[in-house]
Amino acid sequence: MNPGNNRLFGTTHPPGRAPLSRTGMSSDCDAANEEKVNILLVDDRPDKLLALQAVLNDLNQNVVVAKSGKEALRHLLQTEFAVILLDVSMPGMDGFETASLIRKRPATEHTPIIFVTSLNQSENQVSRGYSLGAVDYILSPIIPQVLRSKVAVFVELHKRTNEIKRQAERLRQLEETAFKRQLTEAVDRLEMETKRNRFFTLSLDMLAIADFDGYMLQLNPTWEKTLGFSEDELKSRPGPDFVHSEDRPAMIEQMERLRDGASTTYFEGRYRCKDNSFRWLGWTAAPFPAERLIYIFARDITQRKINEQKIESLNAQLKQRVQELTDINSELEAFSYSISHDLRAPLRSMQGFADALLDEQGDQLDHTGKEYAQRIVSSAKYMDALLNDLLDYSRLSRAELERESVDLQTEVAELITQLSCDIQQRHAAVKAEVNGVKVSAHAGTLRQILSNLVCNALKFSHPERPPIVCVRSEKRERAVRIWVEDNGIGIAPEHCDRIFRLFERLHTSQAYPGTGIGLALVRKGAERMGGSAGVESVSEQGSRFWVELPIA
Amino acid sequence: MGNNALTILHVEDDPNDVLLIARAFRKVEVAARIQVVNDGEQALHYLSGSNSFSDRENFPLPSLVLLDLKLPRKSGIEVLEWIRSRPGLKRIPVVMLTSSKQAVDINRAYDLGVNAYLVKPVNFDGLVDMVKTLDAFWLRSNERPGATRD
Repeated sequence: MNPGNNRLFGTTHPPGRAPLSRTGMSSDCDAANEEKVNILLVDDRPDKLLALQAVLNDLNQNVVVAKSGKEALRHLLQTEFAVILLDVSMPGMDGFETASLIRKRPATEHTPIIFVTSLNQSENQVSRGYSLGAVDYILSPIIPQVLRSKVAVFVELHKRTNEIKRQAERLRQLEETAFKRQLTEAVDRLEMETKRNRFFTLSLDMLAIADFDGYMLQLNPTWEKTLGFSEDELKSRPGPDFVHSEDRPAMIEQMERLRDGASTTYFEGRYRCKDNSFRWLGWTAAPFPAERLIYIFARDITQRKINEQKIESLNAQLKQRVQELTDINSELEAFSYSISHDLRAPLRSMQGFADALLDEQGDQLDHTGKEYAQRIVSSAKYMDALLNDLLDYSRLSRAELERESVDLQTEVAELITQLSCDIQQRHAAVKAEVNGVKVSAHAGTLRQILSNLVCNALKFSHPERPPIVCVRSEKRERAVRIWVEDNGIGIAPEHCDRIFRLFERLHTSQAYPGTGIGLALVRKGAERMGGSAGVESVSEQGSRFWVELPIA
Repeated sequence: MGNNALTILHVEDDPNDVLLIARAFRKVEVAARIQVVNDGEQALHYLSGSNSFSDRENFPLPSLVLLDLKLPRKSGIEVLEWIRSRPGLKRIPVVMLTSSKQAVDINRAYDLGVNAYLVKPVNFDGLVDMVKTLDAFWLRSNERPGATRD
């Protein structure tokens, strides 16, 4: 040991004055100045400390001095050091003991320690020092350049380590910020989704997500509330299966349009409910082709549809009323036409022939005179009949006809009895095949209709054969068709519709007397009782008139 | 019948009117032969010389057609329309002789080219007067269309 060498270092820096800045991040630090690290010098001899200090000043770092191991440990508790220069031989706690205590503290267990020792003790001390964790040795008397460069290495190492630590800290902070942000976002998203789910759940509209095959993947509770099917039932089959068969093709077409790239579609259709009734749904659907999904918003529009149907049926009723009024109007026209035409003709005859009678046969009523007189009579008769029929017809157009269940067989039997004289005279046969049939009709009107049809059948007989008339009934859906068939002269097809019009005739009244009102009365009567009338006929072979009335 | 061999076709379904008008013609001593048919279809057959009217000696083309409006099978309006559409018949004077005073009938008849529209009077004397006028105007004064076509 060479104490003399050690004495080279005299005064010590007061340890309390040593700068304690560890991070070098203080804002007042000169930007040009690098961060300064701390170097701890431990020696019991002030001269040696001074000498070391002088050497290390060139490194331009903070140098802290300690005059004993204890003082060194105190500094180490407060301050982080880049490197410790530790005198081996000190009174009390020597360098080795100090080093071992330093190493025991976790904060300092890796702080580099350079032992400073005299040459003569070196060999023994070097091995012990290394075993205690020394990183290097400096032999005194020291060579300033060697000391400086060795310490400089540790200063640099410490600086780098600090830099890495700082970077790691920055990274950690960045990561923490990013993580916090993600967390916040996740929480926000969750909250949004919860809100959205609330919309989904609370919506009065039916919301659903379906795949491109029409299967529902997700539904809100409104579906079950509206249709009665559970969510699982609705998911178990493709949507079109639930749609009314009449609306299904339209729905499938809409789905194809969505699959083919339509942006949105609107569709109205009837959807089956659990109780097998149907509700009208109005659908708005939008496809997400990338996910092969269709988002569906459906609304129960049943009430609207019912209202629309009501309006439609009211409109139809209105149209029908207008049509009825138009019909009545045109009949009134026909009526006034007949007053100006048909009713004036017989009047004219009466007048004309009366005139002729007076003018030509006034003094002697011979055969011709009698004939003229006869004509006046027949004209008067005709006019009477015409007026009567017209009155019947106009009454039928206006009167309320109260319907009841009428037994057809009774009516036809009575009619045949009434007409028996006429039937006998014409050598005719009238058959009835209407057993047990009841119709809903106004009895008087039905009697008149049957009478007109049977009388016509007898009247328009073929000159070469006696008339055979058959009254038959044919049951139809909710109606009975009564046929009056004859073997008479028949009617050419082009006239079949014309003959039901008021005052339409195919023959002169000479050939087949009549007023031209009978069949118009038949059709009007049938229509007023909720039925209809028509004819099928072959000219020269016979006619088949029919009246269809509601079944009783 | 020489120069007086004029023919009037009377289309009328009411036999009483046929008789009364024939009597009126007799009273006025109209120098024309009256042919009567009872419905629209018969009128067409007569004018085209078909069916039972093919003998033009007995059923010559008329110099005047008296046409009722309301007729069985084919109305007077339909007959008029048909006459005006036939090249050989379209210039034959047609006079409506009917009971209808309805404007719709009158206008329709004029639209289709009727030459006159007369309403049958209820009074027989009125009818006689009307036939007198008919005779004076259509058979005596009026220049009839030529026999050549178009």
